[in-house]
Amino acid sequence: MSQTVQAVANDGMRPSGGSILVVRDLYRYFGGIKAANGVNLDVGRREIAGLIGPNGSGKSTLFSLVAGTVKPDRGQIRFDGHEIAGMSAHRIARLGLARTFQIPAMFDNMTVTENLLAGAAQGHWQGAHERAAETLGLLKLVHVADNRASDLSGGQQKLLEFGRVIMRQASLILLDEVTAGVHPNIRKIILEAIARLRERGISFLIIEHDMEMVRNVCDRIIVMDSGRVVTSGSFNDIVRNSEVMQTYLGRPQ
Amino acid sequence: MKSRLASLVLLIAAIVVLALLPALVNNYWLRIATGALMWAGLACSWNMLGGYAGYINFGQSAFFGLGAYTSALLMGDPLGLPFFATIPAGIVVTAIFAIIIGAPTLRLRGAYFAIATWAFAEVLTQFVNVVGFTGGIGGLNLPPFLDERFFYFTMFAAAVLTYLVTWALFERSRFGLKVKALRDHEPAAEAMGINTALVKLQTFVLSAVTASVFGSIFAYWVTFINPKSVFGGDITDQMVVMVLLGGLGSLWGPAIGGVGLFVINRLLWMNWGDTAFYIAILGAAIVLVVLFLPNGIAGLFAKRPAESATVLDKAVDKLVGNGEGGHS
Repeated sequence: MSQTVQAVANDGMRPSGGSILVVRDLYRYFGGIKAANGVNLDVGRREIAGLIGPNGSGKSTLFSLVAGTVKPDRGQIRFDGHEIAGMSAHRIARLGLARTFQIPAMFDNMTVTENLLAGAAQGHWQGAHERAAETLGLLKLVHVADNRASDLSGGQQKLLEFGRVIMRQASLILLDEVTAGVHPNIRKIILEAIARLRERGISFLIIEHDMEMVRNVCDRIIVMDSGRVVTSGSFNDIVRNSEVMQTYLGRPQ
Repeated sequence: MKSRLASLVLLIAAIVVLALLPALVNNYWLRIATGALMWAGLACSWNMLGGYAGYINFGQSAFFGLGAYTSALLMGDPLGLPFFATIPAGIVVTAIFAIIIGAPTLRLRGAYFAIATWAFAEVLTQFVNVVGFTGGIGGLNLPPFLDERFFYFTMFAAAVLTYLVTWALFERSRFGLKVKALRDHEPAAEAMGINTALVKLQTFVLSAVTASVFGSIFAYWVTFINPKSVFGGDITDQMVVMVLLGGLGSLWGPAIGGVGLFVINRLLWMNWGDTAFYIAILGAAIVLVVLFLPNGIAGLFAKRPAESATVLDKAVDKLVGNGEGGHS
């Protein structure tokens, strides 16, 4: 029975028993723009799934729908066994979902350390100061610990936002172009941290335009276009699929 | 570490001087000191929401007035309650109104909240003007108690408590982290699991009841209140300017601005018998602060690059709905 279900399932899906995130028939229109037009996808436990697609294909909207900042018109989102479609962002976060924003979302007037502590202020306060010190070390931000977040460089802000996500002790982390436009050194720090977190059992859904990064860190690639998941598979599967490459690379970025 | 010790010594010295002040100055100056403590406390109450959460409240005088009128009504006929019993009553009344005003409007962007608080203060003033039990325009008398030292020490205790609570909650606890996080980036704060609507409401209620406590003490101190003296919009205006001048979102800024401007006000009155010029000083202070000193006087002592984001930026963003301030 479940075999049949799998066989007819949309390409973005995996067997849902082992999935931390299950999205089914998700719709969200903004006026005439079909930002989510029947999205189906799964993210497995401990999986690092890469989300690719042309600009305007609905990747960031999907993040906002899953994280609760945008409410779906209809459809289901199941996260770690909870139905979360339409739930407020802070309640979804408390269930163990963490995210970064496309433009780094700094707490500008707070110090780097305070930014990290703020990530743990709701529900993960035990040992927060120790973990903040650890995270500063992990992300090589110790020397700017007492600087204000708004005074950091763009790359450091990306690191800090990533660090705040680590402080959340989430089970699923959504990263929106977390390495875009950052120095290779900083990118390396982030990639190492992702690998370390996965070892702890954390799953990732990553929006990424850099195919090198996608190849290096993602277990599976999910391709979106026009508000839908077009296909998914390993990096090699996707690259071999010329139609997908046309979709993804055939348009100006 | 050294500067921390220095500020601790300074703080203890200030508290000792303030505690001994009644023995050092005459009643005239003691009254001015009592007023300065009140304004330092009121400015701090406005700063809780305006500075730490970035939500501009243009109706804070309503809560000052609610405390004053609650105390006046309960101390007068027929109840004649003792003064200290009327302070908690004022707190309860104020908290109820703050929840009614704040719960629906703090979810929206700052401009709606600012308009709602301003309108609430206006409506309440007119209400008190026209109904009978408040004495209308004529106001209310309280049982006179002419002990300047009592009022000085009561105001002193209230101010110390206000700053202690502000320090503990906003500077030293994770509640403060949540408040400042939502001020700087509301969607990101939500994404950390912070219930921003609730945290804003808690901060607003705390800010309102603090103003109410000072209203209660003020009413008993001056023994006569009317709608203009405790609900007047100029009371809110002064709190706003005091905080902006002293330093929005800083612990000591409101104390600097509150004491500084009130003492200037009294000196003008002593020298010219008129405080019309004071209004001009307030206006000039706003312009100068916005243009040249966005972090206020307290900001002069903090090291930060000129291009840094400021708390004022965040409050203005929330007010006009720019950037990441609001969310739907």
